[in-house]
Formats: sequence, C-alpha cells, structure tokens
Amino acid sequence: MNRKVLLVGLILVAPLLAVLASGLRHDPREVVSPLIGRPAPGFSLADLDGRTLRLEDLQGQPAVVNFWATWCQPCAAENPIFSAVARRYAGRARFVSVIYQDSPEAIRAYEQQRGRWGSTLVDPESRTAIRYGVYGVPETFLIDARGLVREKVTGMVSFDGLSRSLEEMLVASAIEDKL
Amino acid sequence: MISLLGRAVVLAALLLATIGAVMSFAAAQKRSANGVERARRIAFLYAALMMLATGLMELALLRHDFAVSYVAQVGSLATPLHITIVSLWSSLDGSILFWGLILGIFTAGAAMHLRHSATDHLGYMLGTLFVVGVFFTFLIAGPADPFAPTPLPVPTDGPGPNPLLQNHPLMIIHPPMLYLGYVGMSVPFAIALAALFAGRLDRDWIRSLRTWLLVPTGFLTVGVMLGGWWSYEVLGWGGYWAWDPVENASFLPWLTAIAAVHSALVLQRKGTLRAWTVILVIVSFLLTILGTFLTRSGVVNSVHSFTQTPIGPAFLAFLGFCLLASVAVLALRMDTLASDPARETLWTREGAFLINNLLLLVFMFTVLVGTLFPIAAELVRGVKVSVGEPYFNRMAIPVSLGLLLLIGIGPALPWGRADNQNVRRALLWPIPAAVAGLLLTLAAGGRSWGILATGALAGYAIWVNFDQGLRLSRKRREDEPWTEAVGEAVRRGARRYGAYLAHLGVIVTFVAIAVSSSYQVAHEATLRPGESMTVSGYKLTFDQVNARQEPHRISDRARMQIERDGKAAGTLEPALNRYDSRMEPIGTPAVRTSVGHDLYLSLMNVGPDGSIGLRAIVTPAVVWIWIGVFIIAAGTAICLLPAGLRFPGRRRHLATAVATGAKAGT
Repeated sequence: MNRKVLLVGLILVAPLLAVLASGLRHDPREVVSPLIGRPAPGFSLADLDGRTLRLEDLQGQPAVVNFWATWCQPCAAENPIFSAVARRYAGRARFVSVIYQDSPEAIRAYEQQRGRWGSTLVDPESRTAIRYGVYGVPETFLIDARGLVREKVTGMVSFDGLSRSLEEMLVASAIEDKL
Repeated sequence: MISLLGRAVVLAALLLATIGAVMSFAAAQKRSANGVERARRIAFLYAALMMLATGLMELALLRHDFAVSYVAQVGSLATPLHITIVSLWSSLDGSILFWGLILGIFTAGAAMHLRHSATDHLGYMLGTLFVVGVFFTFLIAGPADPFAPTPLPVPTDGPGPNPLLQNHPLMIIHPPMLYLGYVGMSVPFAIALAALFAGRLDRDWIRSLRTWLLVPTGFLTVGVMLGGWWSYEVLGWGGYWAWDPVENASFLPWLTAIAAVHSALVLQRKGTLRAWTVILVIVSFLLTILGTFLTRSGVVNSVHSFTQTPIGPAFLAFLGFCLLASVAVLALRMDTLASDPARETLWTREGAFLINNLLLLVFMFTVLVGTLFPIAAELVRGVKVSVGEPYFNRMAIPVSLGLLLLIGIGPALPWGRADNQNVRRALLWPIPAAVAGLLLTLAAGGRSWGILATGALAGYAIWVNFDQGLRLSRKRREDEPWTEAVGEAVRRGARRYGAYLAHLGVIVTFVAIAVSSSYQVAHEATLRPGESMTVSGYKLTFDQVNARQEPHRISDRARMQIERDGKAAGTLEPALNRYDSRMEPIGTPAVRTSVGHDLYLSLMNVGPDGSIGLRAIVTPAVVWIWIGVFIIAAGTAICLLPAGLRFPGRRRHLATAVATGAKAGT
C-alpha cells in the first residue's frame, strides 16, 4: 500500500467528484438573480417608433420584460409563446421586449415577418441589460404591480410557467388591493 | 416488436458482460488459460450482441418504426436515407447504443489481437473491459433505453434529427471518429490496469499498451479536428474552436494521451517512467468518462450538450467508481511497477520527453480548471460565471510555443547521456532554419512576437524532423527499384518515420492555427440585389435569393458573384435553411477554400424586401489546420504498421541477405 499515492489521489479525486455532484443538482439554466424581491432597475427607453417608455409607465399591472435578439434561436422559439400569453393577459399585464445587442433594422424586418407582442425597446449600449444583469439572451424578468422583480427566467419561457407566474402576481396584487 | 427484441438483446449483452467480468478476473487470478479462453469467447459474443442490437435499431430507423421511442424522437419520413442511417448517433439514447457497439468491437478486437499475451495480463484486461461494458450496457438497458416503446398512440411521423446535424456531411463522420477515440481509450486503460493487477509491465505488454494507445489517440486527433472543421463549415461564425466545455471535454484526454504516447516511448526504450506512463493512460481514460459525463449530464452550459437526462447521476456514479477504483489500485499496486534506475540529465531526449509531458499536463490542468470553474463557483459562491476564450488562450499560446520548441529540440537530442559538445552541436546545427523561418515570417508580414516566435520555432522543428527522418534512410542499392527502397526504409523505421511525419503535421497545424487566428478579417453588410461589398481584395456582388424546396427543408440561397482583384471568380451561395420542425432558420455558410486563405460567407438574414445581411470573413491558412491533422493521422497510422510487414519483392532480398549471411558464417 502506497499511502502517498492514496493521499494524493483522494485529494485530487474527492473535490472533483464533489464539484461534479453539485453541478448535477442545479438546473443549468437556473440563475439566481440578486434582483429578486427588489425594485426593478429603472429605465427610460425609446421603442422602434420613437415613443419613450419608462419603468414607471408599467406599474399598476404585472409586467413581463424580455431581453432578446434576432440572432438568438431560443428567442425565436419563444416568440409564439409570448404572443399567446400576451393575448391571454391583454389588459391585465404589460409586455415589453428589450433588444439585446442587435440592430433596429434587423428587428424591424423580423417583426414584419413574425409580428410583435409588446413594445419593442431599443437599449443603447446595453445599459438597461447591464443593470438587469443579463448575461445572455433570452432572459425574462417578471415585475409585479408594485415594481418589484419577482422572478427571472433564463432561457426559453414556457406557456404554462409564464401563465402561472402571472396568475400568482395578479392574485397577490388583488389581495393587496383589498387590504 | 423491434422494441421487445432490442431490449432482449441488450439484456442478454448485459448478462454476458457481467459473466465475462467475473469469469475473466477469476481466471486471471488463478492463471487459468482455459478460463481466459472462455472469457475471450464471451468477448466475441458480447460484440456480436451489440452489433445485433445496433442492427435492430438501424432497422427500426429505416422502417420508420415510430413504436420505438428513439425512432419517434429522431426519425422523420422526410429525412433523406443517409441522414436516417446516421441519426443513430444524433441524439442521446442512440449515441449510447452506438457507444456500446464500438466498445463491443474494441473489446473483441483486443481479445483477438492480444490473444498470445500472458494469461494474467489478458484476463485482467478482459475483466476491466467487461466492467466498462457492464456499465454502458446497463445504460442502454435502463436509463438511456433507446428501444423503449413509444407511449400510445404511436405517431405517424417524427420531428427528424437536429437540423444542425443534417446540414453537413462532416457530421456523419465526426461523431464516430470521436467515439472511436473515446471508447478506444478503454483498451489501454484495461491494459494499464492489467499491468497493475498482475504486478508486471514487461516488454510485450508495453508494446501492446503502446499499440492500443496509438489507435484511440489517432482517432481522437482526427475526431477533435473534424469537430472544429464541422463547426467552421456549419455554425457560421467563422471560427473552429471556442473553448466550449464540450470541445474541451474532447481535448482533455487528447492532451494526456499524447503525453502517454511519448512517455510510453521512453518506457519502451529506457525502462523508466513505468508507473508514470500507467498513470497517464489511466488519467486519459478517466478524462474520456469525465468528458462524456460533462456532455451528457447537462452540468455545463454548452451549445452541444444534450439536455438534462436521467443518465447524469448514473454517469457520475460510474465516474466516481472509476476514479476511486483507479486510486485504490494505484495505491495498492503501483510499487510493483518499479522503473529501471534512471540516469537522466535534462539535455537528453528523455529529458525533452519529460518536459513535453509536463507541458501537456499543465495545459490539461488549465483547461480542466477553466471548464469546471463555473460549476465550482456556483457551488462555493452561488454565482453563475463563464470562463471565456481569453483565459484559455493566455495559456494555450505559451504552451503551444513550448511544445513547438520541444518538437524541434527533442528529436535533435541524443538518447541517454551525451557529452556537452555533441549536445551543443546538435542544438546549434538547425539554427539557420530558425532564422530562415523568422525571416520568412517577417517577409510575409508577421509582426507580433507570437507569430514571429512561431515562425522561428517552426523552421527549427521542420529542419530537425526532416533531418532525423533522412538520417534513417539509407543508400539505395544500385539494382533496387526506387519504390522498393522507400518501402524497405519505411518498414524498418516505420515507427520513427511515422513519428517524424506526425511531428510535421503538428508543426503545420500549429502554424496554421497561429496564422488563422491572428489575421482574420471580417466584414458585415446589408445588401440589396445588385449591391456589393468588399473584403480584403474580394468584391462580392449580391444577385438574388433563390428559395429551393427540399424534402425536409426550404433552403434560401443568396447568390453572390465573387470578384478577386477585378477578375470574376465564380459564385458562392450561402444559405439559410428552414426546417419544418424548427422555427428559426439555420444557416449554411459558403466557403471558398484556397491554399492561402478561405473566403467565408455567412447569410445572417433575408429581409422581406429581398435584401440580405451578409457576413464575409477572410481567414488565412485555415485549410492547413485540417491538412496538418491528416498528416498527424497518417504518421500515427505508419507508426502502427506491424513490424514484420512485408512489401512486395522484399522476400527475395531477405533470401539473398540470409544466403549471404550464411555464406559469411561458414
């Protein structure tokens, strides 16, 4: 028995296995955002038609803020989901998409083909994306009626998941209104 | 029906592998030649069952039998025949079955080729291979069962394989090459463990180890390169390597395998580095399992990872078992593999081999840390981070230059002790070649220190390797045909010729990587029909977009007229393909390859008004990366030529030589 080999081997192997095992527990898409439960970072951005939209304009209703780009494939797959959810919650929630590192021309051409499901905001120099801590698109933030970030979805949203979150926020704000 | 049959075959294979493992170890321990012979037969039977299972899956794919879950997952009536055949490895469950097939073939191949080995060596090796086989067959039988019946109602058509895999013929050969490398690494691992179990690593077993190490290493080399080539030809970003975790996963075992190939050579020649070589081989295998785990468990974020699956935990358990078992076996048995006493000084060829090993290992650790760091950071600090290209490149450049330096000075140095004057002469002699390389690089416009160093070191190394290669050849006899003389020389020095050729391939690849990554020119533009753009000497004029309907996709091809220095130079058609099953089109770049550089056109989007977004990239020397790797592969193949190989006509000379020898003796 060569104790030195055993010791060195275990020292190398044990942390490796621990790290890998911890990796398994996590959903690779789930990202903890320090913004959860805090007021959403403010913004004042122009949409493709030149109208300015501010964070305050969204308050009073739950809001869905989606960061995306035309060059991102999951974003394209998400598009019909957002369209369907936006139709379902029309008048009860606000839907905003923020362009992430893409040209307004590309976005315009894209929206002509596929339609638009909310205000499309231009984010010069990705300042808003940086404030929201976006590290890759698509990322979607759910902001409640009071302007607090409730949830962050990294990667594609699902119709059911998004609907469920919106329902929860709507119920919560209805209760708060009663109180 | 096929579902049932397939599952039965896989279960039978699982049973066989289990019996084979127990039997092999028992027979090896008792040194029972009969027992080992029975285990060998089981190895052939196991391979036959894996072939049968794979054949059944292919049959199900070809018959579009959507009652088989894997077919329902990747099959489609519209998919062309050749894509249907290779969709066996287009998704997780099928790829594990394919893995099992290759493992079966390798197990049978080793059982065949090494049948004359010592009983205990052969038995322990087969036992180890069977244990690996038990795990993979278990995966096929349970967590990744491709034969599972599709839940009713059975669909009448399927989505087809991932479009990215349908886009380029390279995808047909890249995964098999990589798997041959990955799976093949089990054989040298089994040979190394057998040496530990038996407590003996003698001359014959070293030769077996070296042969079976070269085979998967060659495949891995080609597989890694084909992956880069595929991503270059298909993904449309104009690069071939992104330090993506899955790319790293294939690169890690390659680094240690290359280190092991070199240390095995020192072992064969000098009898030193015995335990070290065994450790490198074991680590190479463990890294292939680690890489497979990373790819298939969803632990790392990557463009190519398969999504989260239940096989993650199973793989982790197997990886843990292999790691701990290897450490335990090494701790218990390593002292039995004492090396011959070494009297190395640094300035010998052994010294160069040792530094080569250290460089490769440092590189391996750097890449490993960079790949695993995001997981560790999440564990410790709860934050998601990603490690980017700059981290890897910072290490890759100096290590590559170091290796290039060693490819030059290693072969120039003599084996064993040498007097300083000889060493000095051997090292100084090729200096003019380094100067020539430097001047050539300067003349070609190289200015950064990295490129200049690459040029100088490459010049030095090319000289040394050619010089060493030529020294091997001998004067041709007057009556001897030229072809025969070459054949004879290659036969006698096959291993060394192969090695020098592989080195030349490495030099070509290194230089090409350095040049292509330093001097890429990219340009993007939005073009309407008739408009044109220019990029480093090329004028690209956009004609129009043609939509072509193919069975499984619609392909929008943008026709570009190419002019080079004012002269028409044909057309290129980058395309965007729309598949029924996917929302977003997938691009196929058009690449015009020439000896000096590639013109690479990637269609970004097609506007509703008929305009296009085009990315044009000119990259020098790309084609030499692939050529270099093929040279390495050819060198590896030559190294594997059996020593007793006869070339036509050789027998006569041999007879003459024997006759002459006999005469001289009397």
